[in-house]
Amino acid sequence: MRRVVITGVGLLSPLGNDMATLQEGLESQRSGVKHMADWSQYKDFETRVCGIVDWDDYKSIPRKSRRSMGRVALLAAKTMQDAVADSGLSEALVSNPRTGISFGSTMGADEVLFDYITDITNNQSFQGQNSMGFLQIMSHTVAANMAAMFKIRGRNIPSCSACTSSSMAIGIGYESIKYGQSDIMFVGGSEGAHAYNAGIFEIMGATSRRYNDTPDQTPRPFDSERDGLVTAEGGGTLVLEEYEHAKKRGAKIYAEVIGYATSCDGEHITTPSNEGMEQVMRLALDDAGITSDAVGYVNAHATSTPKGDIAESHATYAVFGSDTPISSTKGYMGHLLGGCGVVESIIGLISLQSGLLPANKNLVKVDESCAPLDYLFEHRHGTHDIVMNNNFAFGGINTSLIFKKI
Amino acid sequence: MTEAHIMEKLTEILVEEFEVEADEVTPDANFFTDLDMDSLDAIDLIVSMDKALGITLKAEDAQKIRTAGEFVQLILSRV
Repeated sequence: MRRVVITGVGLLSPLGNDMATLQEGLESQRSGVKHMADWSQYKDFETRVCGIVDWDDYKSIPRKSRRSMGRVALLAAKTMQDAVADSGLSEALVSNPRTGISFGSTMGADEVLFDYITDITNNQSFQGQNSMGFLQIMSHTVAANMAAMFKIRGRNIPSCSACTSSSMAIGIGYESIKYGQSDIMFVGGSEGAHAYNAGIFEIMGATSRRYNDTPDQTPRPFDSERDGLVTAEGGGTLVLEEYEHAKKRGAKIYAEVIGYATSCDGEHITTPSNEGMEQVMRLALDDAGITSDAVGYVNAHATSTPKGDIAESHATYAVFGSDTPISSTKGYMGHLLGGCGVVESIIGLISLQSGLLPANKNLVKVDESCAPLDYLFEHRHGTHDIVMNNNFAFGGINTSLIFKKI
Repeated sequence: MTEAHIMEKLTEILVEEFEVEADEVTPDANFFTDLDMDSLDAIDLIVSMDKALGITLKAEDAQKIRTAGEFVQLILSRV
């Protein structure tokens, strides 16, 4: 069976824009969540917190590539630039027909969508719209723009599935290489910050509102005082490569992807299902050919919503019991939506490299309704060589990824 | 609307929106071979010029333009 390894990393997160800074942010328990004063322009909208990425060097993206990108694709483009450079791949390999991509996001460029729809509606005319608006807001804007900018000639499978967009992209890339369709896959996803994203969750009563003046204290996954999720922006790119291919060219290898599964709850459109979450973890373990006791750290999806955290904790307990260290790293930066899967996978790579088992930031007292897991209240250091990253999305879509030190 | 005024607006838009160097914008400058633009840029240039000059060119006009000078003459013929 063909093995799949990670040979390049690029990221932009509210906690840092490279692995070293991200690790430092985790270790020092910094917060990337900011107070959003200008969100007061929206009536009856209470949340004022969001995870923000410190990057706007748009001119680093060539104009002809940049023109069809909103912030969501620009963020992805920067991470892919960094990942390609990190991998050391030649232009010929990047544009090889056996090199493909998979990227996704929840939305296209929200900031463009607002203006585009508003103008057309107000004027009842398409006159005055340029050719780029749609390319910036369409559902697969990230995948399409990455393909064009980096001259990709192989498969392009957009993975737009809201909060599992980038974890699913990693899974698609892993399966593409494992089953022989590609030798290299650039995979990931992103999301841009906008009040629109937070507003969607506020309508459902799912946003954090009690910590607007102390943004570093929210979100609070698994904590009894959590009051909802905090949206965030950012994303990342992983370079996945067939193991022998990577060895042959002397590539730096971060870790191996040894397991992946995706499955559906097939029930409620938004309410998570314990059974669905449990199933996807078991399927991923089966795919990896390991049992749960081999996993030394679980990075939970836990977004800090009341229902979601409880359901996930019980699903994880059913698979792992109480002895596997677990944390949700959303307490450091909020919920990157389409970008969370890849950034949280990169945190898994940091854990494998450094031994860091990152604490659940803002977890003081576990909600009594949550299952009795080995919640990380403080950082620990382990000697583990396998980590799992779980993500879940609206629509009852579940993903579980397993990475191993190599 | 004078030829000079149109050329001035055209130069302004090419510099600000299409990141062309101002001294590259001459009447003979070909949008596609000299200024590194393409068919989508041509459409968006027309949209921007419409807004700047208060005129209404058509998307089909984007297929006719080749040089800055020709574009200025096309606009003059429509106003």
